[in-house]
Amino acid sequence: MQITVKIKRFDPEADTRPRWVEYQLDVDPTERVLDVINHIKWELDGSLAFRRSCAHGICGSDAMLINGVNRLACKVLVQDLGNRITVEPIRGLEVKKDLIVDMEPFFDSYRAVLPYFINDEPPPPTERLQSPEERAVFDETTKCILCAACTTSCPVFWTNGSYVGPASIVNAHRFIFDSRDRGTLERLEVLNQSNGLWRCRTAYNCTEACPRDIPVTQAIEEVRRAMLFRG
Amino acid sequence: MYRGREGQWAFVLHRVTGVAVALFLLLHVIDISLVMFGPEGPFEAFLVFYHNWPFRIGLIMVIAAVVYHGLNGLRIILMDFTTWGVRYQKHMWYGVLGLTTIIGIPVLLKVVPEILRGA
Repeated sequence: MQITVKIKRFDPEADTRPRWVEYQLDVDPTERVLDVINHIKWELDGSLAFRRSCAHGICGSDAMLINGVNRLACKVLVQDLGNRITVEPIRGLEVKKDLIVDMEPFFDSYRAVLPYFINDEPPPPTERLQSPEERAVFDETTKCILCAACTTSCPVFWTNGSYVGPASIVNAHRFIFDSRDRGTLERLEVLNQSNGLWRCRTAYNCTEACPRDIPVTQAIEEVRRAMLFRG
Repeated sequence: MYRGREGQWAFVLHRVTGVAVALFLLLHVIDISLVMFGPEGPFEAFLVFYHNWPFRIGLIMVIAAVVYHGLNGLRIILMDFTTWGVRYQKHMWYGVLGLTTIIGIPVLLKVVPEILRGA
């Protein structure tokens, strides 16, 4: 299958603005976009920069804007895109080179919501038991791989990089609704700031973009209601 | 352009109609306040001026904007305060568009003939 891949490239040492570069190549329809980009890097242009690691949709390294939608390059097949593919870096974060963006602001927001188990009570003699029903409440939000596909699809985040973003709220949800955790009030305090979860305008791009099918907007609304009625 | 789906366009339309209605309200407050110069003064002149066809089309758009913004506001309230709202957000958005159209039909039937007659 003959395809044209258009990639938005930026070399900070040579370019003042990003530029589009087209590549023509012959690929198998069942190959993934990541395979295509690897072909380009290995066989056509070794200077192309992008992140990837596991290549199986788990490490969350290769989130990109593919044909106008945030996806993981390792989870999209060429046959589902047609013979013209455009690839851009995810939006709202500074582009370091080509498809690589500075993820630090994203991880700063993640760290801000205290995404770890908090419980100062004396440890019980056995495990801290949890029923399947209690676990089910936050089951979906345990699936986040921190790829930033959600946060960088958010129109609010594009215009206000200080917004904590959907990924952080998802990870706060994972602990706020954990029956064993005691850090809810601290997390809600962080999310109750002006750039916290009230910034969400329910555009649902995050939910559509999540490669793990986490109902992101649903999680944001649940944390909002927790803030109103529990906090 | 990010290829967002219903939710993104519901958000964009909500923002655009919100700004449009706010600007209209500002204009409306200014023109109504001109009545303090007497009924025959600039207030009357404004009313006549508003009968020009671009403003009549603007009237249709403002009514559509108010109706959309109000109905979509109800959709947002349901998403915020019910456990099921998010699940049905797309359906509700199509409902909002449908209702806005239905409510707009009598407005079109009244205003469009007036524009065509030059009334």
